[in-house]
Amino acid sequence: MNNTLINAKNLSKIYGKENSAQVVAVNEVSMEIRRGEFVAIMGASGSGKSTLMNILGCLDKPTRGALFLDGSEVSKMDDEQLAKIRNQKIGFVFQSFNLLARTSALENVELPLIYSDKQDITKLAKEALQAVGLSDRLDHHPSELSGGQQQRVAVARALVNDPEIIFADEPTGNLDTRSSLEIIALFAELYKMGRTIVLVTHEPDIAAHTRRIIKIADGKIIADEENRLHGTWQK
Amino acid sequence: MAKLLRMKKIAYTGLGRNKLRTFLMMIGVVIGITALTLIISAGIGAQDRVMDRVKKFGLESMMVFAGGGREMGQPVSGGPVTTLTLRDAETIKREVRAVDEVAPFNRKGNSEIKYLGKSTTAAVFGITPSWAYVWDWDVRSGDFISEDDMDNLNRVCLIGPTVRKELFGNENPIGQQIRIGNVQFEIKGVMQPKGTSPGGGDMDNRVNIPLTTFMRRVANVDYIFGIKILLNSSGEMQQTAENISAILRERHTIAAGIPDDFRIVTPDEVTQFAEKVAGTFNIFFSLVAGIALIAGGVVVANIMLISVNERRREIGLRKAMGARSKDIKLQFLFEATAVTLAGGIIGIVLGGIGAQILKMITGMPVSISWEGIALGVVSSSLVGIIAGMQPASRAAKLQPVESLRS
Ligand SMILES: Nc1ncnc2c1ncn2[C@@H]1O[C@H](COP(=O)(O)OP(=O)(O)O)[C@@H](O)[C@H]1O
Ligand SMILES: [Mg+2]
Repeated sequence: MNNTLINAKNLSKIYGKENSAQVVAVNEVSMEIRRGEFVAIMGASGSGKSTLMNILGCLDKPTRGALFLDGSEVSKMDDEQLAKIRNQKIGFVFQSFNLLARTSALENVELPLIYSDKQDITKLAKEALQAVGLSDRLDHHPSELSGGQQQRVAVARALVNDPEIIFADEPTGNLDTRSSLEIIALFAELYKMGRTIVLVTHEPDIAAHTRRIIKIADGKIIADEENRLHGTWQK
Repeated sequence: MAKLLRMKKIAYTGLGRNKLRTFLMMIGVVIGITALTLIISAGIGAQDRVMDRVKKFGLESMMVFAGGGREMGQPVSGGPVTTLTLRDAETIKREVRAVDEVAPFNRKGNSEIKYLGKSTTAAVFGITPSWAYVWDWDVRSGDFISEDDMDNLNRVCLIGPTVRKELFGNENPIGQQIRIGNVQFEIKGVMQPKGTSPGGGDMDNRVNIPLTTFMRRVANVDYIFGIKILLNSSGEMQQTAENISAILRERHTIAAGIPDDFRIVTPDEVTQFAEKVAGTFNIFFSLVAGIALIAGGVVVANIMLISVNERRREIGLRKAMGARSKDIKLQFLFEATAVTLAGGIIGIVLGGIGAQILKMITGMPVSISWEGIALGVVSSSLVGIIAGMQPASRAAKLQPVESLRS
């Protein structure tokens, strides 16, 4: 079985029209991510981490280059096909949680499923919330949950459609140290259960929990190495 | 079905929870649909009334009234018109082929009717034996006026149920003597009940006597008030009216260019008259409904645009989670329509209440109908769909990354 999940070839993202001031947010990036990896993308603010992650996650389209996910070329797909890919194969976790206000944790987690063909969406959502340890908070609204708990709801929402890969853009950026550790521990646990996770962060403490660290600067990969603390990243 | 349930779920998680805004979005639609329901209720009421009137009048019949140039519903100006006679009625029956039967009559309003110590007021009609057939209005008990009564100017009468109730209660009136003015009449029969006339009068508060007796012994006149004419078929209505007009003009020796001294009323004219009355009312409320619905739609569209702008993150999130553009579009269309439909339902209820109040105050006939409810539901939904279209497309076009960044 082919173990390569993501294969990026010379991806570039250029903002701004030709002849005007252009920003090359992602510059000729090529990389592979295999199933079951736990990857951190690190870099200074403005280095292009989010842009890269959004392209890898099929949220955004590259200006140039090709992207393969699970063997199919997503860089050639139209919006509707991309929506389906996001719905079935990808889970997102954002820095600012992005939960729907005045909506219960359970309903927030059900959100990706209402756009899928899946049955028993409430049951699946409950299981996902159980996986993040929030079985006792199903009916709570985001405003009734701590930051750490809100982010765990968001992780449950990213998990609920059983995706091939989870992308998290600075998931601990809005959290205090303790909650940050809880969240990163949660990701580590999911990794151990076989999930593929790509995590954007600029905090070394957080990146330290992953198995592979890709460093980018000015839209280019400047380093891509195994996290020594944790031994081999190719399980 | 599963799709529908899912749609409900999407709408539920997305439905605007801002109460003030929801209220603002609804108010125009509520006013519009209230006005619309009023129009329909009153319109249907008026239509029922016309149909009622036509039914009572008869679709295959027409009326000839003495006196020309007067509009329906307007009182006769000047004194009584003395040109229409019993002979005219006989001639019409004899000479116009399409005429099946004629019922000439005269009448006198508010006469005092006395029985022993009691008295009441009722209209007195001079009628012929053909009345029962032409009006489809026979006696309930006793006998109808006969040719013999006509020939001998008999002082016999048929009383309406209201007169009977007033003067006799439970007593059997047949064979009893009553007085109309100073003339004594024997009661031959009691008429079938007919209810209220299209003009609102009690058609059962009448005393019918032979037309000849009426002319000689009660009113002492040579002329009649009108003739109801029953036709063989309704197809030749207009042609028959022209034939009758020609015969009457000849008999009354009216030269060309001089207006008629009689008036022929066909069911068409009855209908038109009632429609004219309802028309003014309808135009006013149609304007109110139209303006309110348009204004309501504009408000809905603008608030939805604001809402789409404010909910960019939510839209971006939904797209990131796999919502397609058409899912987003449908969601906002659904939200706009849900709000206007709710407004529409409130409007239907308020309009129904308003119609009842209108009925109590003006006595105008109203009726709540399925047509009215359906039209309210459809038009309020339409306002939502039309007003929601542009905001929904705008929401659908948003790119996930940009929306999430905002
Ligand atoms: N929509 C945009 N238009 C123009 N420039 C953008 C846009 N999005 C990002 N950029 C620029 O691209 C670069 C990379 O941004 P980003 O990927 O958000 O960086 P990071 O996530 O590493 O902080 C930055 O210089 C940023 O200003
Ligand atoms: Mg970023």
